[in-house]
Order: sequence, then C-alpha cells, then structure tokens
Amino acid sequence: MRTEDLIGDLATELRPVRRLPSPAAQAALWLGLAVVVIAIAVALHGLRHDLAARMLLPHEVAQWLASVATGVAAAFAAAMLARPDRNWRWALLPLPPLLAWGLSLGWGCLADLARMGPEALTLGTSWGCLRFIILLGAPLTALQLWLLRHAGPLRPMPVLLLGGLASAALCSAGLSLFHHLDAAVMVLLWHGGATAVLVLLGWLLGRPLLLRAPRLP
Amino acid sequence: MAAAQAGDRRAYDALLRACLPLLRGIARRRILNPAEAEDAVQDALLTIHQLRHSYDPARPIRPWLVAITERRAIDRLRRHGRRAGRETSIEDFGETLAAPGANTGEARVAATELRAAVAELPPAQRTALGLAKLEDLSLAEASARSGMSVGALKVATHRAVKALRRRLGVED
Repeated sequence: MRTEDLIGDLATELRPVRRLPSPAAQAALWLGLAVVVIAIAVALHGLRHDLAARMLLPHEVAQWLASVATGVAAAFAAAMLARPDRNWRWALLPLPPLLAWGLSLGWGCLADLARMGPEALTLGTSWGCLRFIILLGAPLTALQLWLLRHAGPLRPMPVLLLGGLASAALCSAGLSLFHHLDAAVMVLLWHGGATAVLVLLGWLLGRPLLLRAPRLP
Repeated sequence: MAAAQAGDRRAYDALLRACLPLLRGIARRRILNPAEAEDAVQDALLTIHQLRHSYDPARPIRPWLVAITERRAIDRLRRHGRRAGRETSIEDFGETLAAPGANTGEARVAATELRAAVAELPPAQRTALGLAKLEDLSLAEASARSGMSVGALKVATHRAVKALRRRLGVED
C-alpha cells in the first residue's frame, strides 16, 4: 500500500476523539484512587497501637514521607513518560526520594545495630508484608497501566516499571501504618524486597502483555 | 491536529501530508533500505492515528511526531535485525534441493562427458594433454617423462584441445 493512500484511508475513517487529561491530572487521579484503596485496606487491619509514638520519631516520619514521596514522584513520572513528546529524564524524578527511602532504611538498620547489637540483624519472616504489597500493588499497577494505556505503542516498559514502583512505595507506606515491624532490617528486607519483586514482576510480565504493534484500522 | 481531534478530515489529511517529508526524513536517517524505511513511516502514521487523543494542542506538534516516528523506526530496525539473524536471502541459492549431491548433477554430467571425450583421443594426444595440462609439467619435463620431443608434445596438446572443443561443441 502506498503511504499516500494510507493517509487517505486514515483521514476518511477519522472519528472525533476526546483529548486525554494532562499527565498531572492523570497522576492525581491514580494517586487519589490508590490512596482510597490503601486507606480501606489499612482501615480493615486497624492502625497499629504505637502509631502516635512512632510518628513522634523524626527518623520514622522521614522514612514514611520518603516512601510516600517515592510513590507520588513515580506516579507523576509514569504519566509524563506515557506521552511521546515528554523527555525521558522525567524517569529520574523518583530517584532522589527512592534513594532517601533506601538510605533511611539502611540507616535504621545501623541504628538498630548500635542499639541492640548483633541481634538487630536477626532475620525473621514476614510473608504478610510481601503479600500485602504484592496483592495490593499489582492491581494498583494494573489500574495505572489502564489509565496510561496510550503508552503501549511508545515506551511501555519504563511506564510499567514506574507504575510498579509507585504502587509498591504507596503500599509500603500504608503497611507501615498498621503493621508492626521492630527491626529496621526487617522493613528493609520485606518492604524493599516486596517493592523489588513487584517491579520485577512488571518487567517479566509486561512485555508480552503490553508490547503491541499498531494495526491497520 | 486540534481540528483533527475534533474530527475534521480535511485538516487531518492536510496535516499528515504536510508532515510526510519530515517523517520520511527521520525514517531514512535511521534505516538504509528505502522500502523498510517507508514501512516505518506507515507504522508511524498508524501510531499517530492511534494516539491522536494523547496530543496536547498547547504543546508544539513537531516533537510529538518526531518521537513517535523515531520509536517506530527503531522498532522496525530491531525486528529486521532479529529476522536477519534467522533467515538467509533466497537469491543466494541456484538450487534448493535438500540432498547435497542433488545440486551437483550438472557438474557431474559435464565431467563424465569430458572424461569420455578424453578417452576417445589418440594415445599420443591423451598423454600429451595429461602431462602438459593436468599435471602442469613444463614442456621439457613432459618430454623427458613421455619420450616425445618438445615439438611433438606441442602439436599433440594443441590437437587434443582442438578435438575436445569440437567434441564438446565449443566454438573456436
């Protein structure tokens, strides 16, 4: 088929479309939905008994805020990258809060080590954390992909990975509100680990699900 | 593009035709093969059509078009690279029979004919041809080996080649 004929065909079958909202509005919409879903999940579990005391510790507050900031920044970056003409450097936006979050978790481990000695590094299992982040994070990632499905023919993978990161970071923040993990190393392992697992799942499953070449109309 | 989003076919047609040279330029810069580059342009047009609701009229359209075309051209190149690794161009083979011996039939027939023709030559000519042309000896060596004089060898070789030519239907 000649390209000029293709243009003719495309123009002939043109239908009016509704413009997408701005990336910021899309990110805000997803964040709103995510917060509602996570708030419901947290309410079902009940807030942790020592939350008020915890929130007085500047280190804990900083860590919690860093995870929230990671989620917000990743959601915004995903919405930006879903547009063809936006710079890929938006993908770097969530890196500073992510770094701060990781550092604060690592610092927490060191502080525990100084306070409690080697037993601070005793590893336990907390499948609950993993389950919560993945079971709640996966549908949230899917929701974001559906909102940003126009990224499919362009750069689906970065959008998917950022979506997974945003979901996991927000779920981790929600989890911290009701789940009790004393040792920071456990938080690092189970929250950070669950985030990594979710992003990895997105990486593995996203390609077959998302990468679609455009078809003739 | 804003008019196209609202459904104005004429504006859409004009826009796509106007940006066609730009899209072709991008695709050709990336892809050497002109047909492949044109396919990438068509991919890009389809993607532009598919994503036309994601364009924000407040922003310039050029980067939007360029980004989509670059992406489609790179996709084409990747697909082409993967395919090129698996396939071999068919023009490289005159014959495509599976058994290795089957494709050398013509050469074997020619060799048999040649051998039969050589066998029918007079013995002196056959010896001269074998020593001078097949074993590639110098005339002096061939003369020593066969006991024929250099002059006789020259004549016999010449006649043998001439006879073979006649026999195999090659014109002088």
